[in-house]
Order: sequence, then structure tokens, then C-alpha cells
Amino acid sequence: MANDSKYAYAVARVRVLENRLLDKGQVDRMLEAQGAREALQVLAETNYASAVGELKDVHRFEDLLAGELERVYREVRRFYPEPRLLEALAAKYDVHNLKVLLKAQGLGREAGGDILYPNVGNIPLAKLEAMFAQEDFRDLPPHLRQAVEEIGAGWSQRPDPQWIDIILDRALYDHLLALADTIPFLKEFFTHQANLVNIKTFIRVKILRQDEDFLKKVLLRGGDIHQSFFTDLYHEPLEVLCDRLALSPYAQVVNEGLAEWQEKGRLTRFEKLADDFLLNFVRSHRHHPFGPQALVGYLLAVENELKLIRIIMVGKLNKLPPEEIRERLRDVYV
Amino acid sequence: MFESMTGIVLALLGAALAVGLAGIGSAIGVGLVGQSASGVVSEDPDKFGQTLLLQALPGTQGIYGLLTGFLIMQRTGVVGGNLLNLTMEQGWAVFMAAMPVAIVGLLSAIAQGRAAAAGVGLIAKRPEELGKAIIFAVMVETYAVLALLASILLLFGITF
Repeated sequence: MANDSKYAYAVARVRVLENRLLDKGQVDRMLEAQGAREALQVLAETNYASAVGELKDVHRFEDLLAGELERVYREVRRFYPEPRLLEALAAKYDVHNLKVLLKAQGLGREAGGDILYPNVGNIPLAKLEAMFAQEDFRDLPPHLRQAVEEIGAGWSQRPDPQWIDIILDRALYDHLLALADTIPFLKEFFTHQANLVNIKTFIRVKILRQDEDFLKKVLLRGGDIHQSFFTDLYHEPLEVLCDRLALSPYAQVVNEGLAEWQEKGRLTRFEKLADDFLLNFVRSHRHHPFGPQALVGYLLAVENELKLIRIIMVGKLNKLPPEEIRERLRDVYV
Repeated sequence: MFESMTGIVLALLGAALAVGLAGIGSAIGVGLVGQSASGVVSEDPDKFGQTLLLQALPGTQGIYGLLTGFLIMQRTGVVGGNLLNLTMEQGWAVFMAAMPVAIVGLLSAIAQGRAAAAGVGLIAKRPEELGKAIIFAVMVETYAVLALLASILLLFGITF
């Protein structure tokens, strides 16, 4: 009951915000548009109107997406009653920034401003940069701090950017599951996410014929499909993975994803289906009137929508036919 | 303590609980819907009227409680200045008669508040479905009305 009153305001507010998401018809119109400029015109009739108005050059549409992401997080942070939930959902942006900064530092280059998220994560970029300047990471959450220090200490022996990704991705999921500990719905969501990432990692490792030790190092600890499940399967052909996961919720994702890989040698379908799986999981819970579900759903929907726009815009700028763009498109939330 | 407790004290305790508990329930219910409604109105001010309708629904339990309490006061002569001298047995009977509306009022108002708050979410998405949102919340009202009916029948069944 205490929860009802905690979430009542936020859930109702999110319901109104959900109305402003793009619907299927608008996405279809973007897809059918002649060229990138016309696709942007469709966006100009939606909630993105003012952002499109400020855009000077079609090729800079990434600025629009970054600006929207920032705006949505800023808005939600202002009224949401459960900071841990937002912290967990925004942590991936902190980790992204950390990766970029660590790689730039390791390789002795400037971090390019375009690939960073300045104000979306929990720690503003300026503060992160200050931490790097002073080499003092005490203000980072414990899991991330440990990872950054481990990378800092080991870089001289192992100057490998991929290693930064591996360590930080693992730290991210440890951090997320610790944050989600008191919010069962969120925990379930991150567990699904970690499982899907692990399945994809396993497939990649098998395709690239990397060794078993490498697999052990890159698997995330967050999922509830145990590490030994994957290491046991390592010496089997990939098809066995489909059989073993046939009764899991991921059966369809794995079957169709692998089928496309065998046919065309790419994993884009797997990635799309994995995203759709997570979106559907959240969607099936979003009508909960009091609880974190509605907001998790909304934020995921916004990120999904930005991804959709990005895929369409990139496709349009490269003059791909609509059908080919459609193949890569995720579902729409509303 | 019990020596000084006569029938009339028990009857008034019943009246106090009927008004008090049902009133608390309504306050919680109306408050909850109010929070939801503010969430919607902060993004979409045009929905004020519709959300206000839903917010009023869990308020009825408090009125039923007051009605029962007033009936007890009137039957026992607190209102009108002609205080009856009730036996312990009569006092307990009046107390028990107040219980349906007190207990059901408290819990049903909270339940109705939840249904109405969810209804606010519904009209945030589909304003044209206000009628359905109201019906869902009003279904809960049935049980508050039944409790009121029981309390009134019991009260009028007691002879003084």
C-alpha cells in the first residue's frame, strides 16, 4: 500500500508521456518517405517537432537523438520517486563514457565528443573527466571503481581495448543486479538481459573460434543461465544450443537468430529479436498501476524509438530500399 | 474501567468507529487518486475534470460512515438531548451494528481508490473511455453499499 502512494503520481505521469511516443503508422510513414529529408519531415509532425526545427543538417540527426535522450532522462529524474531505479537504467551510459575515456587514455588520444553521453548517465561527463585527471575514482560505484582500477593497473601489460569492454561490461551487470536487488521487476529484467547478452557472446565466440578460457572471461555473471551451461556446450556444434534452449523463453530468439546467421552470416536478426524480447517482457507488465514497471517500459520505449529513428535515418541516407530497413526495425512499444 | 462503561458508551464507540474508519479509508482512497490525477494533469491540464470525477468516487464510504454514525446518535438520543439509558447488551448490539460500515468502509475505500487511480491511468491514454474507468471503480462501491445496508438493518432491528 505504501508503494501505491509512492508510485501513483509517477505512473500516471508516465502514462501521458507514453502517448507521445511514435506509433506504428508514423514509423511506417518515415519508412516510406523519399529520402532522409522527407523522413525528418514526418518526425516534425510528432513530439520531435521542436528538435527537428533546431536541426540544421540532416546528416547531424545524431544530435537530435542525443538531445532527446538527454531531455527524457532529465524530465523523468525530476519527478521519479525511486532514484535507484533511474540509477540502474542510466548506468549503461556511465559505463559507455568510462569505456570511451579509458580507451582514449590508454591509447593516448582525445576522447571524441560525439561518442560520449555528456548528461544522460548518473555521473556528469565533466565529473568523470575530473576523476581521470586526478586519477581518483573513489566517487564511482564500487563495482565500476574496482573495474576501472583493475584496468588502470593492468593496462601496461595488456594494452587491449577489447579487454576494457570485457571488464566493464561484467562490472556493469554486477552493479545493475546489486542496484536492482530491492526491485524484483527490475532484477528480472536485467537477468533476462544478461542471459541474452551471454547467449550472443557464446554464439560470437563459437563463430570466431575463440578459446574456452576467453569464453569464461567474457560471460556475464548476472544471468540465471549458469556459466557452466555455456562452457559445457562449447565443444558441441551450435545447433545443440537451440535444442538446449528450446524450452527456455529465448527459444525463438535463438532459433531465428541462428537461422539467419547460417543463411546470411550476420547476427542482426538475433539482436533485433533480443531487443524485441526485452521490450515485450516489459510491455506485458506495463499496465501495473502502481510500481516501477511503467517507467522501465517508458524509458526502454524511448531508447527503442531512438534506435528505430537511427536505423531509418541511416538507411535513408544510404539510400537503402524500405524493405531492407524494415528487416532491421524493432517493434514499436505503444 | 469497565465499571464506568455503560451501554451508551459502547454505542457511541460504535458511532465513532463508523465515522472514523470509513472516513480514514475514504481519505486514503481519495488521496491516492489525487496523486495519480496530479501526475496526469501535470502533463495534460485538460484532463482535470475527468480525473476529478474519478477522484470523488472513493469519497462515498466516508459519507456512509457518517450516515451510520448519525443514525446511532439519533436513535440513542445524543442528537435531540434525550439520552437513552442503554443496557450493556443494547450497547454491544449498537456497537456491532456499526461494524459492517466501519470495517468494509475502511477497506473498500482504499480498494476503490486503487481502482480509480488505475482508471486515471486509463483515461490518460484513452480519454474517451472515461465511462469504463468509472464503472470499474464503481463496482467496488457495491460492497460499501451492502455494508451500509447491513448496518442500517441491524440498527433498526434493535429495540430500545
